[in-house]
Amino acid sequence: MLGKLSWDVIPFDQPLPMIASAVVALTILGVLAWVFLAGHFPYLWREWITSVDHKRIGVMYTLLALLMLLRGFSDAVMMRSQQALAFQAPGYLPPDHFNQVFSAHGTIMIFFGAMPFVIGLMNLVVPLQLGVRDVAFPTLNSVSLWLTATGALLVNISLVIGEFARTGWLPYPPLSETAYSPGVGVDYYLWAVQIAGVGTLLTGINFVTTILKMRAPGMSYLRMSMFCWTSLAASLLIVAAFPILTATLAMLTLDRYFGFHFFTNEAGGNMLMFVNLIWAWGHPEVYILVLPAFGIFSEVISTFSSKPLFGYRSMVAATLFICIVSFMVWLHHFFTMGAGADVNAAFGIATSIIAVGTGVKIYNWMFTMYGGRIRFATPMLWSLGFMVTFVIGGMTGVLLAVPPADFLLHNSLFLVAHFHNVIIGGVLFGAFAGYTYWFPKAFGFRLHEGWGKLAFWLTLIGFYATFVPLYAVGLLGMTRRMQHFDVPAWYPWVLVAGAGMIITTAGVVAQIIQLVVSIRQRAALRDSTGDPWDGRSLEWATPSPPPVFNFAALPHVEGEEPYWSIKQRAREQNRLRDEPEYEPIEMPRNSPTGFICAFFATVMGFALIWHIWWMVALGALGAFATFVVFAWRDKPEYVISAAEVARIDRANRSARREALATYTGPRP
Amino acid sequence: MSNADDRHAQRRDTHDLERYDIDTAPGDEYLGDTDVGSGLRGYVIGLGLATLLTIASFWLPGTDLVWAPGVPVALVVLAIAQMGVHLVFFLHITTGPDNTNNALALAFGVLIVVLVIGGSIWIMANLDKNLMPMNAIMNMNR
Ligand code: HEM
Ligand SMILES: [Cu+2]
Repeated sequence: MLGKLSWDVIPFDQPLPMIASAVVALTILGVLAWVFLAGHFPYLWREWITSVDHKRIGVMYTLLALLMLLRGFSDAVMMRSQQALAFQAPGYLPPDHFNQVFSAHGTIMIFFGAMPFVIGLMNLVVPLQLGVRDVAFPTLNSVSLWLTATGALLVNISLVIGEFARTGWLPYPPLSETAYSPGVGVDYYLWAVQIAGVGTLLTGINFVTTILKMRAPGMSYLRMSMFCWTSLAASLLIVAAFPILTATLAMLTLDRYFGFHFFTNEAGGNMLMFVNLIWAWGHPEVYILVLPAFGIFSEVISTFSSKPLFGYRSMVAATLFICIVSFMVWLHHFFTMGAGADVNAAFGIATSIIAVGTGVKIYNWMFTMYGGRIRFATPMLWSLGFMVTFVIGGMTGVLLAVPPADFLLHNSLFLVAHFHNVIIGGVLFGAFAGYTYWFPKAFGFRLHEGWGKLAFWLTLIGFYATFVPLYAVGLLGMTRRMQHFDVPAWYPWVLVAGAGMIITTAGVVAQIIQLVVSIRQRAALRDSTGDPWDGRSLEWATPSPPPVFNFAALPHVEGEEPYWSIKQRAREQNRLRDEPEYEPIEMPRNSPTGFICAFFATVMGFALIWHIWWMVALGALGAFATFVVFAWRDKPEYVISAAEVARIDRANRSARREALATYTGPRP
Repeated sequence: MSNADDRHAQRRDTHDLERYDIDTAPGDEYLGDTDVGSGLRGYVIGLGLATLLTIASFWLPGTDLVWAPGVPVALVVLAIAQMGVHLVFFLHITTGPDNTNNALALAFGVLIVVLVIGGSIWIMANLDKNLMPMNAIMNMNR
């Protein structure tokens, strides 16, 4: 009746996960109880859970990402402290548990931390920068969000019910096959990532369509903001790469559930094929993460240098170059697997070439700053920290791309330091830059600068203190994923890395305090005009937070940096543009389709993990029925009256008129 | 709306629709919402062609119409024709106006498929050549 499920699968005998999950469960229950008792539920349901507004969906993605980053960070704290204590000693995490911790850490950070953060910012900003009212498929967008949340939920359920994979964040066979991983851990991984992966694929399709098909009048490709370009490139990569992930994991699933032999050790299986396929997705995936971050830095550096982006066209070219070449390098993740010198050399050279595209971008950002009036606000600090840190990470990457060097360094802590160097210094710094930069757009007030700067410096110092020792100890031969070790020469480095984690933790705390303080002081931090940073692209032409329809009248774009030229004209003539003729606007209705589909997907995923077949059928049927009901809806849109549009727009215009009257900066 | 850039506007404007009437390539989607029939016709033709090609590929190897060793080549040809029919009649990749996006997307897709499949075959063949089978290693250790 309940498949493999029974009371034995709950780890009552292990105090650590039990206490941790009890705390989490109580917090969640507490929040839910408060939401219901205080009567907030109808509001949340109406305005957020069922929302198909790209801005709200973006905010919810970001919230999910922040929560999952915290969860992944606590795993990291556990790993670093375990190693600090486990010199010629067993430490406090038994191997079985330690293996689950590092597997969950990688999985959560990539799939449920970094991805939702990047996709959340894309959701919030891309339609605004394109000058349109929403993405191409708003309800599908909500489905994407909730399917991603389903994946995150399944991974976290594994904490209490059953176990998580012990295979690392990419479950290489034969270890991940039933023979060596008979438990449900790998199954949790497979279904969580598959379901979230469907959500990601739908997002990719949605954004490719939006950017190619829906731009404001006059917004030709070469007038799009850099962030839109990098989002387009990342979405193309999603559409091209995620099917490979889905197919590869599906084959592993067939191996595990039906005794197939795609990747087994015997009966004609070939486990090397799994490694090959998973990295054919995996390398493009790292660029899916970092390309949008490059876009964020381009926006931030140009805004805070008060200059247009230097070499815009070469940036576009470099982005597309990276987009294509990222599909030609994947073998560098398994140089040591046994291919010949010719194959290794070819992929090694291709890997080094990709650094050229990145180098072009770094120079462009430096020349953007050169001669500009630079304002060192928090988003700009993250960008500067990125430029230094990422160059180091890129250089160690090129080092690893030399096959003979990689034979020594592969799977050492040097490799671990490399990819944290690029993912933290690139993706995460980019996400934090975007978070502080666009927060006022989403909520109408800025984040506290003092706490933001403190968080930046603590995170930056903490990062170097943690990962520079890992480079060193990797060169000394320490491999990744060690539960304990006996080599005295490694010990001091491991201790320093552990101390670095304390500083990083302080950075995380500062970031949380920043949010709390900003919410409490929101009156003082209010952004009344919608343009708090003297921005240049179209999102700053809307009020903060923007109304559902974004633009009272779609902007007519006449060049690069469309908002900057509108603003300059206003400053020149000392008056705003004429009021547009207000017309009623049609917007898509909110829909619970996404949430309900994801509910059934959760039921189905859970049932698949535990082999509860009747429940699988129930979940599949429910999700399909939801889809059918949605497809037969007959009133997909509602109308906002011209008077309402005028009221909202006039309020913002008067704030902008006031700001213009008191403007004292340089005039064109 | 005469500016060239305006063609990128959110909705296809009427000007474009008129042009579609005059200048339609085979399989082109008819975007007017008045006439369902002409859209349907394209799909029916596509379905017919696809079925015909499928039947042909099952029927052909059973006959001696083609020289036996040439049968795989014939099947590949039929498969490519099948893909062409799908692309033109179901996915509406045509040479008609405003199809640059679709053509580019197709080219990108083909490029990625070639890179991934070609690369995988190269890598796996190389591994196959370089890695000794398990029992050979066993024998060496003996
Ligand atoms: C300058 C460009 C880069 C070069 C030349 C480069 C090179 C490499 C090489 C050769 C490896 C394999 C090392 C080994 O396994 O022994 C590697 C691993 C890795 N890189 Fe990079 N990389 C670059 C940029 C990036 C970026 C931008 C990201 C992410 C945003 C990234 C994320 C990773 C990850 C996650 C791994 C290892 C994953 C694992 O084994 O679990 N790299 N890189
Ligand atoms: Cu890579």
